[in-house]
Amino acid sequence: MSMRSQVYEWSNLAPGGAGATLRRGIADLAVPIPANQATDIFIGGIGNNISTPAETTATQFIVIEDIACSPWISGAVQVRINTTDYFQNPDVTQMPGVRGFASPYPRGSPSVNNADSPQTYSPDNLLKSFDLYPDVYVLPGQVFQILYTTPTGTQGAAILCISAFVKYTLYDGPDALIANKLLELGVTINPNNVDWYKRSLIEQQTRSAVAATAAAAGGQA
Amino acid sequence: MSMRSQVYAWNGTGFGTVAAANNYVAANAGVQISVFIGGLGNNITMPAETTATEFVVIEDIACTPSLGTNGGSAAAVGAGAEQLTGWLQNAAEVEVAGSRGYVQVRINTTDYFLNPDNVTNDGIPGAASPYPRSLGYQPSFNLYPDVYVLPGQVWDVRYTSYQSSANQWGPAVTNLTGAAHNVFCKYTLYDGPDALIANKLLEMGISINPGNVDWYKRSLLSAQ
Repeated sequence: MSMRSQVYEWSNLAPGGAGATLRRGIADLAVPIPANQATDIFIGGIGNNISTPAETTATQFIVIEDIACSPWISGAVQVRINTTDYFQNPDVTQMPGVRGFASPYPRGSPSVNNADSPQTYSPDNLLKSFDLYPDVYVLPGQVFQILYTTPTGTQGAAILCISAFVKYTLYDGPDALIANKLLELGVTINPNNVDWYKRSLIEQQTRSAVAATAAAAGGQA
Repeated sequence: MSMRSQVYAWNGTGFGTVAAANNYVAANAGVQISVFIGGLGNNITMPAETTATEFVVIEDIACTPSLGTNGGSAAAVGAGAEQLTGWLQNAAEVEVAGSRGYVQVRINTTDYFLNPDNVTNDGIPGAASPYPRSLGYQPSFNLYPDVYVLPGQVWDVRYTSYQSSANQWGPAVTNLTGAAHNVFCKYTLYDGPDALIANKLLEMGISINPGNVDWYKRSLLSAQ
């Protein structure tokens, strides 16, 4: 269990339609999201949250492989490692990140949920235009955030339900050490390459043992 | 027959085969249930476990998808929601069309999917890994690396729906029975000699899949 595929799904749903919750519940309602304000989907105080900021321990390594959000109200998701935003404009200024239009969640979702006519959607199916490759690495001891921003906000009589999604692989213990080693070597970190490195270690040990045995046999002769 | 691709599909009414008392209904919302032995929908006779000569590799899990909506009025979800079309909505309740379902894998007593704070969560959302898949609901999630169930371990696939009201439990025709709630699990069962090879591959740090098991067999034969 030292390499594990993980997902985190955030929605602006909380009991009574206000604040945040650590556990989803059957009576959750949509919480308003303010305009032009980056909301941390982990500890932002809106919708389902976790108890502490997302960070890696000294024996963990995280590889973020996909981020996505609802395409409605021009929402976008950004990755922040410590205090550095991953996505930036060509002029190196801040930007809200990847639009839900480019990386929709759910994949195949309609592009518009009509706020004036609840429960109606545009008759289209958005597919992803964006692929998070190369992946984003969160090194041991780093804090990471996924930030959701909408330029319009959700305030109004009928509050839209918005979701954001992050898919990552958690490397723990010995596999995190191997991930660090692959990073040093400039090799892409993915489960295949971690397995390859393990195999190469085993083969190296086997060769050393064979050589030692041969040397010992030669000495006795 | 020593490597076998297997699937298990669960439905809230056991595909119409279970007594009404064993239907997965709105009153069960918010409670995580086992799709194998939870007592609701179609079940199997005993917990899923591997014997000393079996090795299971879980390759995919999925459940009924959901789609955020707008709880402004009580109505059925419109045609743009595709397979969720017709699911009912209530102005005063959760603004999600669909089951708001999640599926978790448990090995012995350990849940596989965790939040970034290392607290166990509900698992994979149906919106990320939908079942059935359609043009409008495609997977964002791929269970890779696979989940290994070693010989002698007990495993479980657990489903939670947070859709709370019978009004919203499904399309109008099935909204009281849970017939629209589905879970899917795809796994490969390695048995006998192939399970031994799977254990050997695990020791060697090689991914366990039918191709690698065959490769190991071929390398044994060529070494003879």
